[in-house]
Amino acid sequence: MEETVVKDSAVRKPKKNKKITWAVLKEQRQLIYMSVPLMAYIILFAYVPIWGWTMAFQDYKPARDFSEQKWVGFKHFEFLFKDDSFLQVFRNTLAMSVINIILGFTTAIILALLLNEIRKVFWKRTVQTISYLPHFLSWIIVTGIVATSLASDGIINDILMKLHLIKEPIQWLSEGKYFWGIVGASHVWKEVGWNTIIYLAAMASIDPALYEAADMDGASRYRKMFHVTLPGIKPTIIILLIMQVGHILEAGFEVQYLLGNGLVVDWSQTIDIFVLKYGLAQGNYSLATAAGIFKTVVSVTLLLIANGVAKRLGEERLL
Amino acid sequence: MGGKTKSWLRLSTVLLLSLCIGLTGCGGGNGNSGAQPEAKDSAEQTTPGTDGDKIEPFEVSVFIGQPDQQPTPDNKIYKLIREKTGASFKFEFLAGDIDQKLGVMIAGGDYPDMMTANQKLTAAGAFIPLEDLIEEHAPNLKKHYEKYWNMMKDPNDGHIYNLPNYGVTNADVTSSYYSGPAFWIQKDVLAEAGYPEVKTLDQYFDIIKQYKEKHPTIDGTPTIGFEILNYDWKNWGLFNAPQHLIGHPNDGGVVVKDGKAEIFADKDYAKRYYKKLNEMNALGIIDKETFTQNFDQYMAKISSGAVLGMFDQHWNFQSAEDALITQKKDERTYVGLPLVFDESIKDHYKDRPALNLNNGFGITVNASEEQAIRIIKLLDTLIQEDWQKILSWGIEGEDYIVKDGRFMKTQEQRDLFTDATWKLANKADSFHGQAPKMEGLFSDGNATDGAAQPEEMVAALREYDKNFLAQYGFNSYVDFFSPAPENEIAYPAWSVDLVDGSEAKIVNTKQNELSTKYLPKAILAKPEEFDSVWDEYVSEIRKLNIKAYEDRINEVLQWRRDTWSVK
Repeated sequence: MEETVVKDSAVRKPKKNKKITWAVLKEQRQLIYMSVPLMAYIILFAYVPIWGWTMAFQDYKPARDFSEQKWVGFKHFEFLFKDDSFLQVFRNTLAMSVINIILGFTTAIILALLLNEIRKVFWKRTVQTISYLPHFLSWIIVTGIVATSLASDGIINDILMKLHLIKEPIQWLSEGKYFWGIVGASHVWKEVGWNTIIYLAAMASIDPALYEAADMDGASRYRKMFHVTLPGIKPTIIILLIMQVGHILEAGFEVQYLLGNGLVVDWSQTIDIFVLKYGLAQGNYSLATAAGIFKTVVSVTLLLIANGVAKRLGEERLL
Repeated sequence: MGGKTKSWLRLSTVLLLSLCIGLTGCGGGNGNSGAQPEAKDSAEQTTPGTDGDKIEPFEVSVFIGQPDQQPTPDNKIYKLIREKTGASFKFEFLAGDIDQKLGVMIAGGDYPDMMTANQKLTAAGAFIPLEDLIEEHAPNLKKHYEKYWNMMKDPNDGHIYNLPNYGVTNADVTSSYYSGPAFWIQKDVLAEAGYPEVKTLDQYFDIIKQYKEKHPTIDGTPTIGFEILNYDWKNWGLFNAPQHLIGHPNDGGVVVKDGKAEIFADKDYAKRYYKKLNEMNALGIIDKETFTQNFDQYMAKISSGAVLGMFDQHWNFQSAEDALITQKKDERTYVGLPLVFDESIKDHYKDRPALNLNNGFGITVNASEEQAIRIIKLLDTLIQEDWQKILSWGIEGEDYIVKDGRFMKTQEQRDLFTDATWKLANKADSFHGQAPKMEGLFSDGNATDGAAQPEEMVAALREYDKNFLAQYGFNSYVDFFSPAPENEIAYPAWSVDLVDGSEAKIVNTKQNELSTKYLPKAILAKPEEFDSVWDEYVSEIRKLNIKAYEDRINEVLQWRRDTWSVK
């Protein structure tokens, strides 16, 4: 819900330095008519549901009228912030999110740069296709593959044993210290190819004249990568980064839920799992809503901060 | 040429269209006008045979709270029900998550006529009270539930909302199948040890250890001594064993001593069990991956035949055992052992079936008054013995044979009864599984369930098992367990509703979370570190408001004793 609001305001970026007059409106009336259904959609599905936030301040019971609900003020927020484990799940969520963002961005950009340098179209296409196919697998399948590969007789341990790097199989999934890394690596494996698509598109739009000019100046391939390609896709990177910052509390749910177990629970639980356990599974929709509000507020704040920083630095902005 | 083709095309299109319309028209006509007289015909024919009321066809919409498959449209049992009672069912089965599905239904207030029980639905006021309806319209149901009448009442307001589907028994029939909890051991382990009597935990691990030393691999896979499953809600493999080892039945997270329930997770006998597991882990008996595996991996390991033992409930790993049978690895299938700490303790694993509360059908507020009466009358008809035979055994001559008054099946019929596709067309299982049913014996002495019919039990045993049981002098694997004593009136404590969102429920969730975290740690710790991990675990548990949890259970147990006792 919150995402739609954010993205939409990006789309409807008002044209600066242009006064909106009746004449302009009349001139563009077809466009305005066309936007009506979309506006209706956004109001209906993004703004009206915000009414549901009232649930966070009630002891909400389903199938009761609004007037019959019991109001309890900030009780659910208090439960959330007083609970010891909430701090822990907050930490885990943030940590895994940051790892995902850093790994996700660097790997995707590096792969895109490398792909961009491949001159044979056939190889480029093949590598690209192979690398983005895992994106279409659902997490339940990916976690199955991950768990199997990391098992004591799985491929990772097999390779490490054969290379004599370790003496006996490592129990990857029973050590908390490995967990964040495993989640990060799984994300990279699944999404890296998909994430390169947007960068490759951005690279395709770089003016070839710039490369020619660089050639004339005698720039090597690496020089061109650093001084032409990277600056060329910088606006794209910044916009994506800002959008990612808005999602920082969405470290994912399925991966941690499916790969986690009792031994690593201190590292694997995210806010979403906490909400499922103490909110939805207990029929406590109010608590779930309270946690949702908390996440939204944090996300929007971070988004605005990131946007502000980008403005200061004179970079591309979202809002 | 072109013109000709075009006109042909046009003509054929017109023909095709008119054909379509004609066909649908006919189809519709058949549906509307054809079916009804037929139904009436059969109704008139059967009327004299039943109770003189005119049979009008009606449709009951039903929601079943578990995934299942739609029966075929011409299913012979549903067809018979439709002919004899006028009732046809429109089933909706669960797809996805039950809580989500019910959440949506409750939010919309949109229910079918009949639904399987759920605390959420009762709390949301989705069900109508049934006691007056039954008193007035359903003498057979009333008789069926007579002894259990007070138990069926909701602890919160005293109404009956659901008709429990299992647990109303008229005789203590020993089934050959034990579905409950036990320490399971591969048959070959016992066979090689010379068929010893294994009573205690120490004896159990001793023979597993010996077998594992002698057979480091089974069919090429490394032998696994002991598995402990703790995945998602399937946590009993780790949590539940201590209560059984001191001779108590399965009460879930508590032990009921002298009528008082208390948690056992932090008690010394629990420590004794986990310490033993810790020692066994140091010896390499316990699977290293046991706490990180998911349910599928667990089942795969069992199906490979390399797992010597585990603590589990039989139904949970039944399909893995079925896979072993299919592979003809009979010696790798399992025997359940009711282990205790010392031989002086009497085992109490096997229990008498308790009334299956919060299960079975309820009628929703969306059913009109006449519809509710029709449904209760229908259930009243179907609880009678002749219908119960049809629902459980099938049609005489087709699905089973009668020899000297005893019900039996030919091998062919037995095979069909395990064929899922056949069942969709020839059994009404999705209805019968949830409906009120007779359990025990029919008035002619036949068992209500094929699996409990002595003749069937013997015929179903495989050669390996016949020899195996002969070594022990038993008739079935259930004989390894002590006969179940009479249940305490409030048993079992695990069926107590903790009430969503209450302090008791939150404490319970937290306690389970602590156990999930600390017990694996303690078991995998170095033996000299076990005590310190255990102490930390206990002190964490004691920080919780365990009393809220125990109080809620004791309160409901007391309420049960007060209202359930037959005065």
